[in-house]
Amino acid sequence: MTSTHPMKRRAILIFVLNRPGVLNKISMLIRRKMYNVETVTACRTHRPGISRMTLTLYEDSDDKMIQVIKQIEKIAEVLSAKELDVDNSFWREVAVIKLEASDSLMERLGSKYNFEILDRQENEVFIIQMAGTYGLIDEFMQQLGEGKIIETARSGFTAMEK
Amino acid sequence: MKGAELVIKSLKDKGVQYVFGYTGGAIMPVFDEMEKQKVFSFIMSRHEQGAAFMAQGVSRASLTTSNPQIGVCMATSGPGAMNLVTGIADAGMDSVPIIAITGQVPSGVIATDAFQESDVVGVMMPLTKQTYMPLRVDQIEESIHEAFHVATVGRGGPVVIDIPKDIQNQETAADYRFDPIAFESDLVGMLYSPHPERETIRKAVSLINRSERPLILCGHGIISANAGDSLKQLAEKANLPVAFTLHGLSSLPVDHPLSLGMVGMHGTVESNWALLNADLVIALGMRFDDRVTGKLDDFAVNAAVIHVEIDPSEIDKNVKTNVSINADAGGAIQQLLRDPELISKPRRLWFEQIETYRSEIVDEIQEEIDTGVGKEGQLLMKTIVSKLSKATGGRDIVVADVGQHQMIVARFYNFQTPNSWFTSGGAGTMGCALPMAVGVKMVRPNERVWSISGDGGFQMNIQELGTIMEHDVDIKILLFNNGYLGMVRQWQTLFFDGRYAGTPMKNPDFGKIAAAYGIPYQRVAEVSEIDAALAAAAEHKGATMVEFLCDPSEIVLPMVPAGGGIADMITSLKKKK
Repeated sequence: MTSTHPMKRRAILIFVLNRPGVLNKISMLIRRKMYNVETVTACRTHRPGISRMTLTLYEDSDDKMIQVIKQIEKIAEVLSAKELDVDNSFWREVAVIKLEASDSLMERLGSKYNFEILDRQENEVFIIQMAGTYGLIDEFMQQLGEGKIIETARSGFTAMEK
Repeated sequence: MKGAELVIKSLKDKGVQYVFGYTGGAIMPVFDEMEKQKVFSFIMSRHEQGAAFMAQGVSRASLTTSNPQIGVCMATSGPGAMNLVTGIADAGMDSVPIIAITGQVPSGVIATDAFQESDVVGVMMPLTKQTYMPLRVDQIEESIHEAFHVATVGRGGPVVIDIPKDIQNQETAADYRFDPIAFESDLVGMLYSPHPERETIRKAVSLINRSERPLILCGHGIISANAGDSLKQLAEKANLPVAFTLHGLSSLPVDHPLSLGMVGMHGTVESNWALLNADLVIALGMRFDDRVTGKLDDFAVNAAVIHVEIDPSEIDKNVKTNVSINADAGGAIQQLLRDPELISKPRRLWFEQIETYRSEIVDEIQEEIDTGVGKEGQLLMKTIVSKLSKATGGRDIVVADVGQHQMIVARFYNFQTPNSWFTSGGAGTMGCALPMAVGVKMVRPNERVWSISGDGGFQMNIQELGTIMEHDVDIKILLFNNGYLGMVRQWQTLFFDGRYAGTPMKNPDFGKIAAAYGIPYQRVAEVSEIDAALAAAAEHKGATMVEFLCDPSEIVLPMVPAGGGIADMITSLKKKK
């Protein structure tokens, strides 16, 4: 998930009625219109019956982004869809990483990054959890080095405007 | 009450008078209830696809009557529902509101690959505006009422309700209440009722006033909004020529002095050259389909574009607009007309130019029509349609299938009656005409209905002759038989060096088929027989069929080659480089 894609990464925040098939409709739309989607996350909100979805995609063209949003708005259960202003919103994700590292390396990383150790196994194998920007998680993984990583699980983005 | 009773009650509450369909295991409780209550006419199609097109016929044709209706079709689970798919996809492409109710296997066995189970909701979802699967009896009424709302609000489209058989049989609780009048959908996205801002209208008016070479493109939205009169007022008040998309035809009499006829791939020379040279395109209720625009990069490059469209996702989708008005075409035109700034301009040079375009191939075409036969000595479709147009005064309803004959009717029938032209446009579904004509005739019983098909499309839903026979549906079937899939053959002639792959067809004796269904039949091979055959068909009470032996070499021109721009239009084979 490192950001090597040539196009701009952008996010759309969608509020939907929590009815069956909504996520299916969004994913079908992505396939049908061949949008370059990177992540989709969905969760309930504090308002009963309403869910929010964050969709990130690679797209340079503003016209295409407007089209994507209009197509999403066309889905009956969609209450609103808007592009998030990158400079005016927080994008966060959670990573759960299984890695192999010496205690000293973990200590060094721990002084620089804020993560929680969920599990410590023998043979210097750890499962850690960290949350933050994609840049921070990417950077952490780079510091760790490929050879140290056994498995990663990243949640995809969730985002909120200021 | 039982679920099945609620289905019938909801349809009755929504004023449904016709249901088309085909029964089967999973929809039996609903059919049983229909038979008990007999609150509407049920017409059994001979294939579910036919039922979907009949429903389309009802929705489309009743629009302009005093009793607008939504067409309803019904089918059983699995193959029944799957057979509806093409007709429903077609309704989606052409923005036609229809309701499909399908039976589903009992909820307890869904997803077990039960007998006649298929994932109807999954299949229909990308083709429809909305799909429902009530999983409790108390969801049936609200699903159906919401379905009618969704189908008709904004841009029309199909909606499917898939009801498991056990839910059809489930009894409501004692405290179940549903108020059909007070019901409101909570789909806020579907409450959309666009009202353009005055400033936007003013900008559009200013573009119109400044334009020296304007052109209105009238689309299906004018028909759907029943706004032909408003269009006429606008065109006449501001002196604007009008070209029509395939589905925009019959909005205005096509021989109106400001009308240039159909635009696009097989449009008239004058409308296409006008589109190419316009300085302003005023698109009313249309979506810049590729059959209208040709190659997008070359489309109306010198023109400003005003786009009036009810579906916001169509605005700026294919063609970038200067002024966009998100509204129904009728309302928007009324607002344009109310603007005191809107003026009339003579635009003499532009109208002279259009007359020059019009005269370009008019003699050549007239000569062909008068000759009446093609290279192989058989009838020309344009001659038959011209004669039909003359005989009916262009006042009768015409339903056309898909292909050469469809384009020829669109070009040579002199449409006079508002909303008198029905065909499959966006999806281009062969076989649509025969069943669609059945639905049309149900809601326009006092008008004459001509169903025109080629030999290919006719045989795609030929089984509906059974429905026509059973219900004595008074439609005049014209069969243009040239022994080929003519439109594909035309492309093969022009672009595939005349290799006729998969287009020649050995046909049955259509006279015997008509006789088997008890339908009077005439066969016409000579130009001199056309008028009498049409007159006899017109006078006959009840269904009748005329087969014309047509010339396979007939080419529909002008033609903008697929992928080409309008400037690439082929107007005449004589002039072809």
